[in-house]
Amino acid sequence: MSEEPVDVLIIGAGAAGAAMAWSLAETRMRIVCLEQGGWMNPAEYPTTRSDWEMDRLGAFGLSPNGRGRREDYPVNDSESPIKISNFNAVGGSTILYAAHFPRLHPSDFRVKTLDGVADDWPIDYTSLEPWYDLNARMMGVAGLAGDPAYPPKELPLPPVPLGKLGETLARGFNRLGWHWWPSDSAIATRDYEGRAACINLGPCIIGCAQGAKGSTDVTYWPVAIREGVELRTHCRVREITVDENGMASGATYIDEEGIEHQQPAEIVVVACNGVGTPRLLLNSRSDRFPDGLANSSGLVGRNLMFHPYAMVTGIFDERLEGYKGPTGCSIISQEFYETDSTRGFLRGYSFEMLRGMGPISTALFGLSSRRLPWGADHHTAYEDIWDRTAGMVVICEDLPEPENRVTLDPELTDADGIPAPKIQYRLSDNSRKMLDHAAARGIEVLESAGAKETRVEAPLPPAGWHLMGTARMGRDPASSVVDPFGRSHDVKNLFIVDGSVFVTAGGVNPTNTIQAIALYVADHMKKNLDQLFD
Amino acid sequence: MQRTLSAVLDELIPARDEEIPGAGSLGIGAFVETQLGDASSLASSGLTALDARARDRGAADFADLPTEERAPLLDEVAAQHPGFVESLFFHACMGYYQNPAVVTALGLEPRPPHPDGYELEPGDLGLLADVRKSGKLYRDV
Repeated sequence: MSEEPVDVLIIGAGAAGAAMAWSLAETRMRIVCLEQGGWMNPAEYPTTRSDWEMDRLGAFGLSPNGRGRREDYPVNDSESPIKISNFNAVGGSTILYAAHFPRLHPSDFRVKTLDGVADDWPIDYTSLEPWYDLNARMMGVAGLAGDPAYPPKELPLPPVPLGKLGETLARGFNRLGWHWWPSDSAIATRDYEGRAACINLGPCIIGCAQGAKGSTDVTYWPVAIREGVELRTHCRVREITVDENGMASGATYIDEEGIEHQQPAEIVVVACNGVGTPRLLLNSRSDRFPDGLANSSGLVGRNLMFHPYAMVTGIFDERLEGYKGPTGCSIISQEFYETDSTRGFLRGYSFEMLRGMGPISTALFGLSSRRLPWGADHHTAYEDIWDRTAGMVVICEDLPEPENRVTLDPELTDADGIPAPKIQYRLSDNSRKMLDHAAARGIEVLESAGAKETRVEAPLPPAGWHLMGTARMGRDPASSVVDPFGRSHDVKNLFIVDGSVFVTAGGVNPTNTIQAIALYVADHMKKNLDQLFD
Repeated sequence: MQRTLSAVLDELIPARDEEIPGAGSLGIGAFVETQLGDASSLASSGLTALDARARDRGAADFADLPTEERAPLLDEVAAQHPGFVESLFFHACMGYYQNPAVVTALGLEPRPPHPDGYELEPGDLGLLADVRKSGKLYRDV
């Protein structure tokens, strides 16, 4: 069944797809976005119920393999110490993310030149700066100007509140003379653009019932749809089709009823992120592209970068009121961000300080750290940790390695029989040394803040939620998949705009940069519309 | 079986104070039963063993034993039924720590986080004074 042809087909309605759709809408081109998930209903998010902590282990859990949603595809990540965490819906993984919203730094684009490893990006911080600014306004980013860890930037909303916990941690950093700053967060700290302000209810990572967290279903999508973009949900793309000239001709997709459709398009934009994008390209084989679409370099799926995470938790003597405020967003430290080779590794990391836990999570922490016995000592042991924990996650830069890759699993498929992705990934020596250093510094600063005990978990297995590198950007078709404007070297009307185009990973959450790249690519397309259809 | 489960839960999470009884008396047993899933048969055999041992000691069942004998007997049976106590304790914690009386005793209001949320102070950004003074931290290119 063939649909009416469109000018632009965007595949994926997550962070990048939404920004792309919104930006291109002003051209009045006919734009369709296909998304295999559906619209989420914030009124049904777990935090509207008293037993919300239970849902973190079920339908709103981190791994697509555990959730059992038809909208998610399974992932074979058995050969990776870090497990994939993504989410298919309008909004994509922004539905669950903690909304940390830092930028990359100028040095993150020049890793080869500065540090002699990995590669340089073909674009730089200056190229993306206006798009970071625009994205901050569209997503509603809260933060404080003046951070010495970054070039100057303006943000539209005041920073997330520190509260007692944030101040306690800040004093810990101050005692050591280390950098810290309120985290840039895509959270509306005031009423913003028709969205209600954050009410500091705590767990952002199981969906924001308030609508204050900037997920793209409540930021870009409403505007893009008003301006004429058509978003078709529960439409799962099986493959991108090509014509006899080797140009993309559109996509084959399966709708909610299981009926297959052809969607012809002049231009195809892929926005399925670091695992979904290479999976789709590898599934789009043809005589002309036997190794997958746009893959003459052999790099589709390769150079998969996560951010190896460590989590360091401190137990304090005093009540910290840590159940208040966005759990994942309080203050950030980039004291150890820029390379210092005397440390024994290259590149660096961010500390993103975490608030406390709810009652059940506290019990689970007690159980997993073997400090919560049953019986006579139970209540004193629980009292020792209840509302007395705070800590951080450490986000370590991951260097690109071709053997870290996404391929197609020979047996596993999604609910529509489409081959699922398989992950092969090994933690590098550089990452291990970095994790060790970071854990030691994490303990140091938590103790400086008053923690009487600390607990480290490194690497953090469920933390494969940053997915980058698998369709990298570059000038040379032999060593990259897309050009500096996101266009496939092999297929001139195919674009990729998500985390898979990253050349290096930096040591910060990628969503802000993903969206800045999407806006940058869209802007370039708009300025070159006459050549686009050649 | 439910009576035995309830007595075990009272051992695992005992009375917190005069206001809040042990997890069994608080009624968490019903929740635990629904959560056991694959561990149901492990739980049944452990509970059956407890009652059997209790009868060996002259009690009608585990709940009928004098209080000071229960924990040691639980330890004994736990050693012979690996995972039995851990599984019950895990689910007991999940149920207990969402019970409204317990949540209130912890200092929280027994309500969903939404729509009321929490008040949170902005905090003293003057604490940033030293960071501001320390100067540029990022590398130029």
